[in-house]
Amino acid sequence: MYSDILIPTDGSETAKAAVDHAVDHAQRYGARLHALYVVDIDAVNFGLGTEQVDRIRQGKFGEMTELKERAEAATGVVADAAAEHDVEVREEIRAGTPHDVIADYADDEGIDLIVMGSHGRTGVRRALLGSVTERTLRSTHVPVLVVDYLDED
Amino acid sequence: MTVPIQAEALDISFKLLPAIIVFLMMASFLIIGFVFKVADTEGMWVAGRGIGNIENGMAIGANWMSAASYLGLAGLVALAGFYGLAFIVGWTTGYFVLLIFLAAQMRRFGKYTAPDFVADRFNSPMARALAAFTTLLIAYVYSVGQARGMGLVGQYVFGLDIIPMIVVMMTITVGYLALSGMLGATKNMAVQYVILIVAFLAGVYVVGFSQGYSTVLPQIEYGALFSELGRQFSEPFIGGNSYYLWVATAFSLIVGTCGLPHVLVRFYTVESERTARWSTVWGLFFILLLYWAAPAMAAFGVDLFAAVNGISSDAVFSGEQAMSGAEGDVIVVLAAQFAELPTWFVGLVAAGAMAAAIATTAGLFITASSAVAHDIYAELINPDATQRQQVLIGRATIVGIGALVTVTAFNPPALIGELVAYAFSLAGVVLFPMFFLGLWWENTNRQGALAGMTVGLLLWFTSIINSVLPAYVGFLADVAGGSGQALVPIYAQYVPPIGAALVGTPLVFLVTIGVSMATPEPPLETKRMVRQCHSPEPMGQQQSAENIVSDSGGDAPADD
Repeated sequence: MYSDILIPTDGSETAKAAVDHAVDHAQRYGARLHALYVVDIDAVNFGLGTEQVDRIRQGKFGEMTELKERAEAATGVVADAAAEHDVEVREEIRAGTPHDVIADYADDEGIDLIVMGSHGRTGVRRALLGSVTERTLRSTHVPVLVVDYLDED
Repeated sequence: MTVPIQAEALDISFKLLPAIIVFLMMASFLIIGFVFKVADTEGMWVAGRGIGNIENGMAIGANWMSAASYLGLAGLVALAGFYGLAFIVGWTTGYFVLLIFLAAQMRRFGKYTAPDFVADRFNSPMARALAAFTTLLIAYVYSVGQARGMGLVGQYVFGLDIIPMIVVMMTITVGYLALSGMLGATKNMAVQYVILIVAFLAGVYVVGFSQGYSTVLPQIEYGALFSELGRQFSEPFIGGNSYYLWVATAFSLIVGTCGLPHVLVRFYTVESERTARWSTVWGLFFILLLYWAAPAMAAFGVDLFAAVNGISSDAVFSGEQAMSGAEGDVIVVLAAQFAELPTWFVGLVAAGAMAAAIATTAGLFITASSAVAHDIYAELINPDATQRQQVLIGRATIVGIGALVTVTAFNPPALIGELVAYAFSLAGVVLFPMFFLGLWWENTNRQGALAGMTVGLLLWFTSIINSVLPAYVGFLADVAGGSGQALVPIYAQYVPPIGAALVGTPLVFLVTIGVSMATPEPPLETKRMVRQCHSPEPMGQQQSAENIVSDSGGDAPADD
């Protein structure tokens, strides 16, 4: 049924909630797991400054060490979980607007299932922070498995 | 309040053609921003194209040339004559210091924001907080001048009252940032530079030619007007503009230029040190194109002002019919209007001023948002901040600072150029010594940096409270004995807010060096980072100082 499963992650607890589900599916179907970290260009712009966006555009993400470490740590969590279950995994880092990049990646790499965490925000918090998962649902035709993350507090 | 808020001489009414020009200009900024945002999501990851020297130089020029350069500079020269030259000297000389001492070294250090540099170099979250706070304060003070410039010039085109005009222009700017997110930034800055320089030079040439002042080189020919222009132009240091104030202002602007976070960030990301140097050379050339012409425009403006009002040129500076501060601030547009040029042409000159103000405000607001979203929020308050949270905080910062700037601009304490100079004093007193000592003296340590920045901030605040606030706060005015008075006149004389750096910067250097020597030296790893910034070997494109230090295990070269 599935040969390539995508799990987008930003390293947050919400994203980690989906890891077990993704690994389990991959193991069951003998699928390859893709761990994708998207460097949110808006976050780079508002957080680090427009010049840093230019820097990424120049293909110099490699010298932005803190950002790279953060991204690798996030995909690393998925890779470790996959390794425990002998699942083949591919780690990817890309930049752009998260839901667009996720949808494009799914198209380009022949992904047939996307597994994502969601924080189930409502009301004002949802309007302000939005939901990458929700937007991804609307921008891709690939089936999406949404795992709700329930905060213990 | 003595400063009249509107320029009485300006023809304030709605004009269709200029409005269309301004509308088309704004639309083109948005389209460029949007096109490059779309292109980003597709091709960004594979594209490896560097930004060329000339394009980078244009970005430096546009980022730099604000309403203060476009309007304020000519306004200051028009109102204060010789004193205004301190601004031209200061704002260009600063780039030489930057070029020689900071640009390439900053590039080698390879950090993201100015507070990032301060925090990592001095191993101190407190230093980061102080630097981030200073960055915010600079962006705020600097932007007030831009908002005022946009409002004054917008009046010529749209004919609204000054307050609604400022609100409209600032809303457009904040909206532009939120929509395009500055992502087409370098492209937009190149376009903004071209618009502003074409508009300004066209203004100078056409006014000079049509009024018979000049032919091919108005930058030099305006000298022929000197004898008629009143003593402010031919005889320096008269009235309140003493020799000391001239030197203090020029010095403040020089060191301020090197300490401005939104100027320095461009050097963190250039291709190589070589690009850093050549971009500066180009940037300086593009800036000079405007600065050579600004005094000519000021001289034409003053002469036309006298002719139109039927007064002698001395009466422009004093007496009942004298030029007001607001009129000085729009002298560039006024000169074109007095010369009876068609409204669309005057509108073009006004549009150039808006392009200048928007480019700089955008750069400043993004520096402010990164100071809050990255340096204060993500680094100090919530280390687990997600990317979306940073975007939210950044956007909120831009809206917040936009609102604050708008309200302050309704009744600003000084001319555009002077307001901006307060921000330069602050940058020169607090940040420049940290950058300079941080890069050039490896023994500068955390205690020294904290003490230095604190002294710098105190000095700047006391200077502002002493000289500027009595005009606004009732009880301070009572203490000072009049709203135009300073609390402590002798302090105001030697540490004027506009030239606070002449006393402040050396003092901060001394404090930083003294405290650093009295306390333990910084860790060896920090020293190695500093040495690496002066390595004679060209650094590979993928490396920054920190990487090399952690890779090479310590035998980093120590010469420059």
